[in-house]
Order: sequence, then C-alpha cells, then structure tokens
Amino acid sequence: MKNLGLLVLALSLVVGCTKKDGVSNTSTGATATSSSGSKLTNAELKIGISQEFENFNPLIANMVATTYMLRMVDRTLTVIDADGKWVPQLAKKIPTIENGLAKITEKNGKKKLTAVWEILQSAVWGDGKPVICDDFAFAIKVASAPTVGVAEKETYTQVEKVEADPKNPKLCTFTYEKVRWDFYQLGNLFPLPKHLEEPIFKKYGGQKEGYEKNSLYSKDPTNVGLFNGPYVVTELQLGDHVTFSPNPKFYGEPTKIKKVIVKLIPNTGTLEANLRSGTIDLISVLGLALDQALAFDKKVKAETLPYTVLFQPSAVYEHIDLNLDNPALKDVRVRKALHYSINKEDLVNALFEGKQQPAIHNVTPADPWYTADPTKVVIYKYSKRDAEKLLDEAGWKMGADGIREKDGKKLSFTLMTTAGNKTRELVQVYLQNQWKQVGIEVNSKNEPARVFFGETTKKRNFDSMALFAWVSSPESSQKSTFSSKNIPTAKNGMSGQNYMGWVNKKVDQDLEDLDVEFDPAKRLTLVHGILKAYTDEVPVLPLYYRSDVAVIPAQMKGYKLTGHQFPETSEIEKWNLE
Amino acid sequence: MITFILRRLLQTLLVIIILSYVCFGLMNLMPGDPVELMISANPKITTEDVVRLREFYGLDQPTYKRYFNWVSDIASGDLGYSRTYRIPVTDMIGPALRATFILSITSLVFSLIIAIPLGIATALRPNSKLDYIVNLLNFAGLSLPSFWLGIVLIIIFAVNLGWLPAGGYQTTGLNYSSWWAELTDKSKYLILPMVSLSIQSIGRFSRFARSSMMEAMRNDFIRTARAKGMSNQVVIWRHGFRNALIPLATIIAISVSSIFSGALITETLFAYPGVGRLIYSSIMGNDFNVAMVSFVLSVSMVLILNLVADLLYGLIDPRISFK
Amino acid sequence: MTNVPDQTPRANEPIVATTAANYLNKAQIAELEKSQTLFKIVYTQFKEHKAAVIGAWTILVFVLIALSAPLIEAITGLDADSQNVFNRYKPPMSHIQASSDTRETTVKNFLTANPSEALTIENKLIESKAVTSTKAEDALYDWAQLDSKTALAAIKDLEIPKKHELSKMVKNFETLHVLGTDELGRDVLMRIIYGTQVSMGVGILVALASAFIGLIIGALAGFYGGWVDTLLMRVTDALLSLPVMPVLIVVAAIDLQKLPFAKAVLSSGNESILKLVFILCLFSWMTVARLVRGSILSLREREFVLAAKTLGATDSTIMIRHMFPNVIAPLLVSVTLGVGESILFEAALSYLGLGIQPPTPSWGNMLFNAQELIYQAPYLAIIPGVLIFLVTISFNFVGDGLQDAIDPKSIRR
Repeated sequence: MKNLGLLVLALSLVVGCTKKDGVSNTSTGATATSSSGSKLTNAELKIGISQEFENFNPLIANMVATTYMLRMVDRTLTVIDADGKWVPQLAKKIPTIENGLAKITEKNGKKKLTAVWEILQSAVWGDGKPVICDDFAFAIKVASAPTVGVAEKETYTQVEKVEADPKNPKLCTFTYEKVRWDFYQLGNLFPLPKHLEEPIFKKYGGQKEGYEKNSLYSKDPTNVGLFNGPYVVTELQLGDHVTFSPNPKFYGEPTKIKKVIVKLIPNTGTLEANLRSGTIDLISVLGLALDQALAFDKKVKAETLPYTVLFQPSAVYEHIDLNLDNPALKDVRVRKALHYSINKEDLVNALFEGKQQPAIHNVTPADPWYTADPTKVVIYKYSKRDAEKLLDEAGWKMGADGIREKDGKKLSFTLMTTAGNKTRELVQVYLQNQWKQVGIEVNSKNEPARVFFGETTKKRNFDSMALFAWVSSPESSQKSTFSSKNIPTAKNGMSGQNYMGWVNKKVDQDLEDLDVEFDPAKRLTLVHGILKAYTDEVPVLPLYYRSDVAVIPAQMKGYKLTGHQFPETSEIEKWNLE
Repeated sequence: MITFILRRLLQTLLVIIILSYVCFGLMNLMPGDPVELMISANPKITTEDVVRLREFYGLDQPTYKRYFNWVSDIASGDLGYSRTYRIPVTDMIGPALRATFILSITSLVFSLIIAIPLGIATALRPNSKLDYIVNLLNFAGLSLPSFWLGIVLIIIFAVNLGWLPAGGYQTTGLNYSSWWAELTDKSKYLILPMVSLSIQSIGRFSRFARSSMMEAMRNDFIRTARAKGMSNQVVIWRHGFRNALIPLATIIAISVSSIFSGALITETLFAYPGVGRLIYSSIMGNDFNVAMVSFVLSVSMVLILNLVADLLYGLIDPRISFK
Repeated sequence: MTNVPDQTPRANEPIVATTAANYLNKAQIAELEKSQTLFKIVYTQFKEHKAAVIGAWTILVFVLIALSAPLIEAITGLDADSQNVFNRYKPPMSHIQASSDTRETTVKNFLTANPSEALTIENKLIESKAVTSTKAEDALYDWAQLDSKTALAAIKDLEIPKKHELSKMVKNFETLHVLGTDELGRDVLMRIIYGTQVSMGVGILVALASAFIGLIIGALAGFYGGWVDTLLMRVTDALLSLPVMPVLIVVAAIDLQKLPFAKAVLSSGNESILKLVFILCLFSWMTVARLVRGSILSLREREFVLAAKTLGATDSTIMIRHMFPNVIAPLLVSVTLGVGESILFEAALSYLGLGIQPPTPSWGNMLFNAQELIYQAPYLAIIPGVLIFLVTISFNFVGDGLQDAIDPKSIRR
C-alpha cells in the first residue's frame, strides 16, 4: 500500500514538473536559444524539414522536399520569383512572339512552335564545364526513354528537339510538340550534365531502371559536376540530412552562407524542440503545421525569442468537391445555398487568426488571372437569408427537428476529409455548425489520407462532399480538374481529377482554346469565362488558400517565402545572417 | 549437432519464405499503390503518366508473378531500387543496420548493467524494503509505454533543460577532429533513445535475474559451499551467479531480437536512422522494395538470433542435448 | 474481490458431478478437497500481495468509470464529440460559454419542438421586462443570449410552461471542463472516459479472445499429440519468434476493405476497433497456447482423465469438462497479464497512426494527437500516458498477485 502510494506521488511529481516545465519554465529554454542564436553567423545555417527526400537526380526526383533542395543546387531556364512573375534563370531572356525569339512555323500543314533560348555565357557546372544546349537535349533524351521512370514526363516530351547553334553551343533552338502559349514555362526542365551522365546512360539505359540505379546522382551524389546552382552537395545521408557548400564556380551573385545543412526531423512535434535546443536554426516551409506556427508565433512575441514566424499566402487551394451525381446536389440552388451559408471571413478569423485568406474560386490573389470583380465572377457573400430562400425555392422545407426535408427525405450530406489533419477537421466542424443553422445536416466521415486519396476521391466514392486541397501555380490551366474529359471513369482507368463530375461543354472548349491562345488579354477573357461558370454552377465550394509558414532567425535577411511551387531556395544566394 | 543446426536453418528459411510471401501479399492490400501516392503529391501527373508508370513498375501484374520476380531478383543479388529514395536498396540497408545495431547493443548493455546488480541484490535480500521498491520499479518499467517516456524525456531533457538533443544520431555538419570527439558527439544523441528503449528490458531482466539467482542460491551446492566455510562473496559470485547466468544468457539472446524490433517506435520518435524507422517509413510511404527487404531482414535476424539462443543454451548447459 | 473464492470452485463443479457420482474413491475426494482449499489459499495469498490488491481496485474503478460514461455525460451535460472551435486548448478547470450560434440553434429547435407554448413564454418574458425585445419572436433568442445567472433569475418567478426545460437549456450553455479542452475544443475528460472504454475494451477483448484461441489450439495440440501437435506448435513457434512491431505495422497498414470477405463484417463505423482487436489477437494467443498445451499434456496422464476415457466420454467432453477447469488458473494469470500488454500495443499502434482512427477516442490516438502541440498543451499528452501506465501496471500487478497465489512454490517472484 505504502509503496504504491509512493509511486503515485512520484508520478504526480513527474506530471507536475513536466506541466510546469511546459508552461512556465521557458526561461531556461529562452536563454539557451538566445545564446545559440547570438552565435548564428554566415558560417553555417541548419534548416529543419519534416518530410522525406530522395536522391538528387532532377529527372527522377518527385518529392516536395527534394524539389526544395534541388533549387539550391540546380537552375532551370526560367522560374517564378517571389512576386509571382516568370523570370529567366539560366536563360538570358525569355523568348516571346513579341520579342521575335519565338515563332510559329508551319511544316507539312502542321503548326509548330520554335523558340530560341540563350544560356548565360557564364553558366557552368560545378566542375567548370559550361552548361550547353546538349545538356538539355540529353535530359530530354533520358526522360523520353521507356526504361526510365520519370513521373512528369510531359515536361520533357513537350520539347520535340533541341538544336544548338553550330557556332555557339549555348544558343539553343527548342522545337515544341504543341503550339501552346505557356511553352516558356520550363521551370521543371532541368539540364543533365551530359559529359558525366552520357556514358552511364549508354551503358545502362537499355535496362529497366538501369539508368536510375547507376546514375552518378545515386552512385556519387557529391560529385560537383552534377550541379549548376549556387551550392553543391557535399554530404548526402538519405533519411537524415544533406550538407551543402557554395559552388566555387557559381556564376551568379555570390552566396553569403558558407555551409547549409538541411536536416530531416520527421516528427513535427519535435521540430520546435530541435529549434530551441539549437539543433536547427530555421524551420522551412516543409515543417510546422499552421496551428503550431500560430502557437509558436505567440510564444515568440510573448517571450521575445530571437525568431520571426513568417506567414505567406500560398497557391494551395482548400475546397470541397461536391459530387454532382448526388440527387440533392444536382440542384444548383442547393449548391448555391451551401455556398451562401458559409461565413468564410469568420472561419479564417476564428481558426487561423486571419493568417489564411478566404477563397472565392481556385485562382489565388497573387495570380495575374485573379479577379474578384462581381461582374466577372459570382461572389457569394455570407447570407443565411439567401441560403434559406434558395433552399425553400428548391423545395427543401424546414422539418420539426431543424433539418430540411423534401419528399420525406432529409437534406443530409456526408463531408469526408483526411483523418488526422487537424486543420481540416476543425474546418469540418465549423462548417457542420454553419450548415446546421440553415437546416442542412452534415455528417463527417474521415479516412486516413492513403484511403481518402487512394480510393475515395480517385474513384469518386464520396457520397456528397470531399474536403481537400489542390496545389496550383500562377497562370496554370485547370484542365485536369475542370474538363469533363477528366472525370474518373472505368474507361479512362480512373484517372483524371474532375472528381465532381462537372460537365460544361463551354468550359471544356474554353480550356482547349486557352492552351493555344497567345494573346494575354484574350487568355484573361477565357479564364474569366471559365471562372464565371465555375462560380455560377458551384461544382466546388471554395474555402480558403493555405498559407506557407516558416520560422527564421530574427537576424536573417533576404529570406522571402514564395507561396508557389518554386520555393524560396530559388533565391538562396540572397540569404544573409549577418 | 550439425544435422540439428542444418535442420533448424532449413526450417528458418522456410518460415522466412512463407512470411515474405504473406508480407508481400499484405503490402498489396494497403490502400493506394505507389503511383497513386505519386499522383496525390503531384497534380501535374497526367492520365498517360499513370498508365505508363503502372506498367513500368509492373503494378499491372498479379501478386504471385510480382512475388516471383521479386524473389528471383533477390536471388540474383539485386535487392531492388527504393522508390522513395531513388537509390539501390543495398545502399540504404547497411547504414541503417549499423545504426540499429549500435542502439540495440548499447541499450542491451545499459539495461544489463542496471538490471543484473538490482536482480542479484534483491535475490539476496528477498522481501526486504529494497526488494519491494525494486519490484515496484520493475513493474513500472514494464508498464511504461516507451514512446510516451520518449516524449516526456524530450520535453524535460531536450526542451526545458537543453542538455541533450531531441533527435538524430549526430551533430550534422560536424567534422570530427578525433575519434573521441566523434564518440562523445554520437553518444549525446544515443542517450535519450537508449534510455527509453531500455526501460522495459531493465524491468524484465531485473525480475529474471532475481528469480534465477534465487533459484541458484537454493541449490544444495551453495549450502555445501557455505558449510565449507567459503566467504560470502565467493559463494555468491562463483557459485550462485555463475549458475544464474545460464537461464539469463538465453533470455538475453531472445531479448536482443525483441529490442531490435522494439526499436521501431523509439527510432521513429527520435528520428534515429535505423532499420525500425526504415521499415515504418517505407511501409507508410509504400516503398515496396525497401519495406520487403528490411522486413525480411529483421524477421531473419530475429529467427537466427533465436536459433543462436537455443544453441547457446545447449553450450552453457551440458544437460541439454540436441536431437 | 470476494468473487474470487466463490466463483472458481463453481467452475470446478463438473468434476465433482461426474467423477464423484460415479467414482467415489478416497484419493479422488482427497484431491477434490485439496483443490477446494487451494482456491482459499489463492485468495489469502492474493490478499497478501498488496500491490495486486490495489491494482485490482484501480482496475475496478476504471471499469466502473468506463461503463458509466453515458451517465457521466448526462450529469455533466458534456459530450465527447461536441466540438467548439472557439475554445481550443483550454487549460484544465476552464468554464466555457456556448457561442451565440449554438444558443440560437438551440432556441430554434426549442421553438420548432414547442410551437404552442412558445408565444406564452415569449410574451411573459417581455412582460416581465427580462428582455428588451419589442417583437415576440425575438424574445426567447434575446433571453438565451443573456449570461446564465441573469437568464435563470429572469424566469425564476415567471409562470411559464416548460420552465424546467428552459432552465436546463441555459445551464447547458455554460460548461466546466475539468481537464480542459483538446485541439478541436472537445472536453478532454469525456474523451478520456470514452477512451477508457475503447482502450480497456480493446485490451480485455484481445486478452480474452486470444486466451480462447490459445486454449483451443493448445488443447488440441496437447490432447491429440502427433502430427496435430507438431503442426500447431510449429505455427505457434514461428509466430512467437516474429518481431512483433514490424509485423503489426504491416498488418495494421493494410486496408481490410480490399478483402472481399471482410467487407461485410467491417462496414460499420467501428471498423478500426474491430480491425485492431483482430490484428492483436492474431499475434497474442501463442503464449497461452503453449501454456495450455503443457498443462493438457500432463493432465492427459492423470487418473481422472483416464477414468473418464474408460467410461466412454468423448474427446470434447474430456477436454471441456475435465481438463479445462484445471487450466483455468494459469489461464487467468496469462489473460490478466495479456490485458496490460494489449493496451500497450493498442497505444503504440494508435500512436503511429495505425490503430484506432479518429474521431473515436483511445488513449493511444489521444497521445498521437497531442504530440503536435506538446509544448503548448503538455497535459494533453501526459494524461493519456499516465492512464495507460496506471492501468497496465495494475493489470501486471494483479497478474503477478494471481501467479504468486496460484503457484505456491514461488514466494513472490
């Protein structure tokens, strides 16, 4: 008896201590970090990420964390900068029809597009060999080989051929397979160092996965010749960390930080502990959840910790796909009513402290295609009255239990989302409550992400509503999610991402036209037409745009979150800690 | 003896083959294949890409065929290619095994150093106050969820006190000036995972050491030794402890394997790059080849260690013969 | 506690009935008496083991709490699923006011449910100047927005119908959260209580089910011997030697929906619980099977079994009526120890996100949820951890106590 009492006492002591430690005993933590914080110099920067990364072969790499780091060591012809504009990176200038560097030609009755790209004269690989047109041609050749498992093949195959000027190996003429206005968006077409990789491809390219296995990127990942960016990889420990040091042959603005380490900390719960104990100095965009960032932001302000928590609205669009095959959702009035009864302003203020922005459609405010003009798109201002009116019109009358009914059937939906994603679960609860106010019953059913994305949405197995996000980029076509050709069916192998089952012939046509429209003004008209239909027919309930969050040392300069698929590491040479 | 070992090895091999097939089949029952996971991460992948990739990875073939392909690859020495890390599996398993080995062994040694003296001390003074307290602690150790202990340790030692790192296995980017510097740095990272991994085995070993020591001290030869007027120390160590070692040795051999598999959660929690974490992350990330290889490897390891334990038992105790 | 000596001899009665009636031989009766007193010894021995007694009481308390969850819900007016996004991560002992939205909806529901009484109430409210509303239909809404004390005082002296319901409604607008609220603003105490149901339920169910499986397999192997024994014990040994955690993870990660036969059974919302019980059972019956086999092997040669055999009893009768009662004691020990282990495994799997799926609470997945904000709300992680620890250690102590009591040779191992 005595012994157990003792145990309980000891236990409660532990509990008491840790509780106290967690709340008030932060002064030790603060001093510890401030001491490690003051030590921060340009000699070294340790970045924490929470997602796995893979080998650095730009053709094969597919994970977000790898893309994040690839931008430190590799450059592409063009990239989108932090302001959302396409800018040249390896290229001198972006070819356009107007500046005469791009031309539409006709051969055998087929229209082709050619563009002249000139690679920066100073651009070299880490071993001093110049980056030339052949490196691009080689990358395209490798990516097109059936034995190589490239995920996004179209990035490469859209370029039919690359020809170098006989006198200048850096002056390249690209011939494109299709005449598309967005041909210059080659942000993911990375060159491969032909002088190093060609012998390997020749030897192993015939075997399935032979190139991947034997490529220098996996056999000798620290070979400086593999990289053409501001940094080179000096140590690569998969599943743990990567060390970068400045590329001595880098041709751009010289880097200031002498050593960058990216460290994988898979448990986001311990990211903060690692930051405060000095194991890492910075938490990248691939780290904290918004909730954690908000909490940490408060702590930073309350205890004046030497950190800045950055929030940047991003191109991640959280929304609810409505299954238009659901009998009740077939009625556009019901869909509109669902939209009218969501108070998005309140939602973002209550849940995200205003750090994420409400969405009116899929195009983000940072995108040149964005519009909030009520003459161009339909804006749904929160109005319970409008929602109730529409529902009454549609024949859904309020029942005795506060839920609307029609022909003896209740107005009830199931809102599905990924289980364990706290933010989405919060939003789910919030929305359920709002819809309850207008007499719509919404039940929740959450599934693990694997099942949700692998089965439910993909096969359109959700009965009425699916809450998730799309990642897009500025000025990108929504063909894969809007066009009725992309409704998943058994016929097309359940591919395509029009999970709503939205069919609008005009939108289908507009999407096709958009790809080949070279006049920016006309493109805008087309996009706005699509957005009009999208907002008017409400196949999707837009909710909000997610924000990227990062925690950086307070003294850090030149660090700018981008909010799109080209992460802040594209401008790593501007980072400065002193 | 040799035929016994051969027969057991053959049995072990059979079990491994059956298990690997079961595991292969089970992995196919996981929701979402690798290509689907790719799509959910990248909306730009087109319909054609999906069909092409599925064919490329052979995902359109039936399970038994794919299993056969896999086995014949393994037999020819090709462990396959990690779809997550994009490198050959062989390159990943080595370091992971070493890391797990270090963690398991240190944890084993640590728990033995603590558990055996405790077990002996309590065995010599049964029903004393010390015995009660140690017994209580043993039970506490056995009942403590190791991952929870890990979280609490991180909060206390990494966050609040800042004495030890919260995870990883070495200070990244450090160039060690000497082996001593390397050792001290790496041990700093080993302490927390080792402690949280050891708690359960300390409880188990200490209880076991106590009972086998008591059993040994009950023997007639102990009484004889005492009657001969030998000093207490000699009786305890030379006669008692030596005999207690026999059952202890077997339980330790078996425990190596359980520590090995128990390290999975600890490794995940502390971001320690061992086989356990590799199994977990590859299963979660649907990295088929890695999951299969590391799974089969850890199963074989455990089975072989069990075999070793059996053999050890026979070597230590001549009363046992192999049939 | 007092059940122990009463119940177990009763389980022994079949032996008395069959053997005593047909075979009254002195040695038999002596053996019976011995077994009777054995249980008395067991009980007194068990009582000696203080930690085990405390453990047993702790378990009893937890079981009672778990079973009375709906009652507690009714008394406190809290429920485990109702979420309040405006009151997340509230520390323990927080009072929380319902949002005005919730109040409005509640009133609206009240009005639709009681259309006839509504007007009287509204008019009385305006008459008594409890509310300043001018229109009758607003009166109840405005009243509901008042803080609970004022609102209660306002209707205290009014002669209105449904007064009890109204005051109950207002009382429910203010809630006390003894253990605070979690990441979705749910009451932690209620979730802990329901989590107790789930976690202990899974633990006990797994222990019982695997004891049952082990009993059957062990008995078959021990009783029939020969190739049955060899086969079953090979399987048992193979499973026993598996590294538990990796295997559990592979099995837990699979989608049972892909199995056609499982679809019918698992279509309910409790899928993840059933799946977990199934998986844990699959890998925890082996020790029981070995233990039972050993006992059955030795029982096979005993006189009373031979006697039953000569009397022409069928195999199943011999096993069930004559052998099982003699195996119950060690079985009990291993079930008790198994519960603790299963609770730990459930927690571990849920902690990895592969066990009980949210929103169903279990201690393991509460811990999993809490770890993200462990610095802001450490109590969310500490409470479930402590509970797992307490219950597991209690079961272990009880198992230890039973073992000591049953095995008189070992004096407190």
